[in-house]
Amino acid sequence: MSDRAPRPYSDPYLTGVALGLVLLAAYVFAGRGLGASGAFATVAAGAVNATSPGAARANFWFADHLDAGSFWRDWLVVELAGVVIGAWISAKLAHRVQLVVERGAGTTVRGRVAAAASGGAVMGVGAVLARGCTSGQALTGGALLSVGSWTFIAGAFGAAYVVAFVRRGAWS
Amino acid sequence: MMAFIIGLAFGACLERSGLGSAKKLMGQFNLTDLAVFKVMFSAIITAMLGMFWLSRFGLVDVTRVYVPETFILPQLVGGVVFGAGFALAGLCPGTSCVAAASGRGDGLAVVLGMFAGVLGFGFVLPSIETFYSSTSRGALTLPTVLGMSQGGVVLLIVFAALVGFVVAEWLEQRPGTPT
Amino acid sequence: MNHRHVLAAVAATLALGAALTGSRTTDVATLARQIQHEDDHVTALELAQWIKDRKPGLRVLDIRSDSEFNEFHIPSAERLPLEELTKLRPKGNETLVLYSEGGAHAAQGWVLLRSVGFDKVYFLKGGLLDWMDDVMSPMIPEAGISPASDSMRVRVGALSRYFGGLPRVGIVPLSGTHAQPASLSASIARTRRRGC
Repeated sequence: MSDRAPRPYSDPYLTGVALGLVLLAAYVFAGRGLGASGAFATVAAGAVNATSPGAARANFWFADHLDAGSFWRDWLVVELAGVVIGAWISAKLAHRVQLVVERGAGTTVRGRVAAAASGGAVMGVGAVLARGCTSGQALTGGALLSVGSWTFIAGAFGAAYVVAFVRRGAWS
Repeated sequence: MMAFIIGLAFGACLERSGLGSAKKLMGQFNLTDLAVFKVMFSAIITAMLGMFWLSRFGLVDVTRVYVPETFILPQLVGGVVFGAGFALAGLCPGTSCVAAASGRGDGLAVVLGMFAGVLGFGFVLPSIETFYSSTSRGALTLPTVLGMSQGGVVLLIVFAALVGFVVAEWLEQRPGTPT
Repeated sequence: MNHRHVLAAVAATLALGAALTGSRTTDVATLARQIQHEDDHVTALELAQWIKDRKPGLRVLDIRSDSEFNEFHIPSAERLPLEELTKLRPKGNETLVLYSEGGAHAAQGWVLLRSVGFDKVYFLKGGLLDWMDDVMSPMIPEAGISPASDSMRVRVGALSRYFGGLPRVGIVPLSGTHAQPASLSASIARTRRRGC
């Protein structure tokens, strides 16, 4: 382990199979799949509840997330904490932790951060409407053959190709 | 505790495959690096085949697994909005957390933007509650809609994915495609 | 052959096998398992809580006769004869709860609905008789026995009063109006199945 250079990423098919086994373990041991955006929703509902319990209770969607269980015990929040730490350990072992802002050659740091934040916000809206994101809908529901999840996959990838084509200069 | 361990493994898988990198994810949409498709569909077919065979041998009870409910219109519209945001951000919710964890500032920006989006839209949602819960179909699955056996649908998806992998390899090998 | 070909071959074989074996996941065995897990019914107190909480999409269906329905029914229930159950079509966010007098007809209705593709359907265990006993005139423990019993006392008491019921405390006679049987077994015998 003398070299500190970032190691290349692993084979996509093998990591895909590993990811599939993790998903399978989630089905078998937890009775549910993986998720990411749901944890954001729970944290958001928790934040609203902390500042104004009345407003949180009056909103059916926040209330739903509060009733799901106590904040720190919420399955998805704990799982997402695991994701962050697991990713960090994996990146650390492969010398891939770098403080950078990844961007295309023709994009400024400021432009990239603005696109990332606004894209994130738009994605948040979509995930709320669709009741999940790439993890909770596409992966989890996709493997369980849910019709809504495959509808989501079609919509998301279709739109992503159009937007990526329109903004193709940003990453070249 | 289980949730945390599964999360650790999930995060590590995403990181190792490189999906914590916006550049790599955008390669999918510019058709230069199709790792996203390969990882995602390898995972879907692995979990799908695993579920099918485990339940076939009675080792797991599928009625105990939560199948995401279908709400056709909101999920289609949500998918389109999500996809647009995805291409703009270059990362999805799960991978933005991975990106942020490996030190990427753009990942952190996506995480914060995402949180703002979820929080803000949460306040708007009650006014469009009718749309949000419209076209609801319950835990509807593809075998029911297509009128096929579950095994038949599994076969269809696995072969579509395998053909997709061959096409993906070909796209990446095209002359003029940077590796 | 590299590992990619091996993986592809394994996936293809498993998928072909899957198509050939067919599924046995959405059939009688699944229903049997749900019955075994007791995922098929709700208790009267659970149903009362759902109605009080205005659980989204809840529909309570009374499958008894018209005259019985008119005489008394669980608040918010709608009448639907057993033979019309099969005309229902699943709606995503609906949770159906069936009840009959004693529970047997509702349990049979549950099997009917599950086999035509309803997912969120339950029957009221013990039927209307249990509703009368456990919601309309539940036995609640005296105050101060233990914190757990006190919280149960408050919860069940509140639920019962919400539906206009009259909770009865332990085996100790309430002062005044209500004459109580002396022994526990007599009390239970009287409380269970007082004709309703």
